[in-house]
Amino acid sequence: MKLKNAVVLALTFLLLATSAMAEPSDAGKKLLARTFAFKHKEADKAAAIIKPLMSAEGTINLQPSTNSFVVTDRPENMKSISSAIAQYDVAPRQFRIVVRIVAASRVAAENVPKIDEELKEVAANLTALRFNAFEDLGERTIEAKEGETGRFQLETGYSANFQIGEYDPSSDSVKVSDFVLSKVQGSAQQTDVAPLLKTTLNLKLGRMVILGASKVPDSQRALMIVVVAQR
Amino acid sequence: MTCESFRARFHKDTEDAELLAHVRECDACLDHAANLDADIIFRAIGGEIVPPGGVDAFVDDVMRQVRLRDAETSLAQHRVLSWPRRLAVAATLIAGITGALLVNRVERTQPHQFGPVQRAALRHLTTKPVVETYASEKATIVEVPAEQAAGDVQIVMIFDENLPADL
Repeated sequence: MKLKNAVVLALTFLLLATSAMAEPSDAGKKLLARTFAFKHKEADKAAAIIKPLMSAEGTINLQPSTNSFVVTDRPENMKSISSAIAQYDVAPRQFRIVVRIVAASRVAAENVPKIDEELKEVAANLTALRFNAFEDLGERTIEAKEGETGRFQLETGYSANFQIGEYDPSSDSVKVSDFVLSKVQGSAQQTDVAPLLKTTLNLKLGRMVILGASKVPDSQRALMIVVVAQR
Repeated sequence: MTCESFRARFHKDTEDAELLAHVRECDACLDHAANLDADIIFRAIGGEIVPPGGVDAFVDDVMRQVRLRDAETSLAQHRVLSWPRRLAVAATLIAGITGALLVNRVERTQPHQFGPVQRAALRHLTTKPVVETYASEKATIVEVPAEQAAGDVQIVMIFDENLPADL
């Protein structure tokens, strides 16, 4: 009787173990397909947004005529994909872009000026870059929605214009496209606005970005563009 | 003796020599008598049966045979397993191997916890490059390591020969 029980137990365990081993491989092969239609954003841009969230088996089948696509991927990935799309395909959101222009330079130790209160945070980050003197050239806060243009002009002669791009939920960042920083140059009789640089930035919300520009790495002077994007 | 007189005189446990002699010769009366007294057959045979070589030799021979059979059975049981035992051993072996495979799989799939969902979450945390494009191709763009920044600050330096000296 004991022997019979042992045989039954062993066979039961064997069956359970076999099914347990078979289950993951079956689950691994299981893929879900789901159609996403877009109301506010373009499907091809959304495809680029969700691509990093997909597994190697995942596919996207774009359907431009209906501004939609079909995503095929593992069920567990589908959750994060759906969530990212839900965050992405919304009416244009408004963002606040705070821009401060700071002139940073390296001066002799005895000539180091006192750092203004509002520049202390920036200065703390720039001392590692050999700069020890900082001049505030102005600050502006621009509020604009996705797709809108922002521009500002400072009394110090600097001006900028840019376009607020789309918010990327996968990196919690907003794109600031075609950021052109210009400077008024010339004499009192004849002034000219000269573009200094043109760039496209990805700004993570809430993170301060210090974009420094100089001719060469060992320049004694650099222009610092301090940018913070907020919701 | 006639069969009629045998049946008239026969009774259970009889030792009558004439009756016993008639039983040895007449099958019909033997059947009749055996119905009334089963032991009549043995009494009718008569005499003492002694095996060749004597009773002791016979008993020794029987016991030797018994011991020999026991030994053979014991050895056979050790050599050959019955089918339930074979099944139990096979099932135990397979269960053991399966268990080992499962454990191995679990150990190997520990990084699987960095499966698609977790990888997605990690990617979610990664940031895009701050400077996606820059107008001048001659420029060098350097992202300063986050360790050199105080707090949640990202520093990026652009070194561009085309920039004016008096920025």
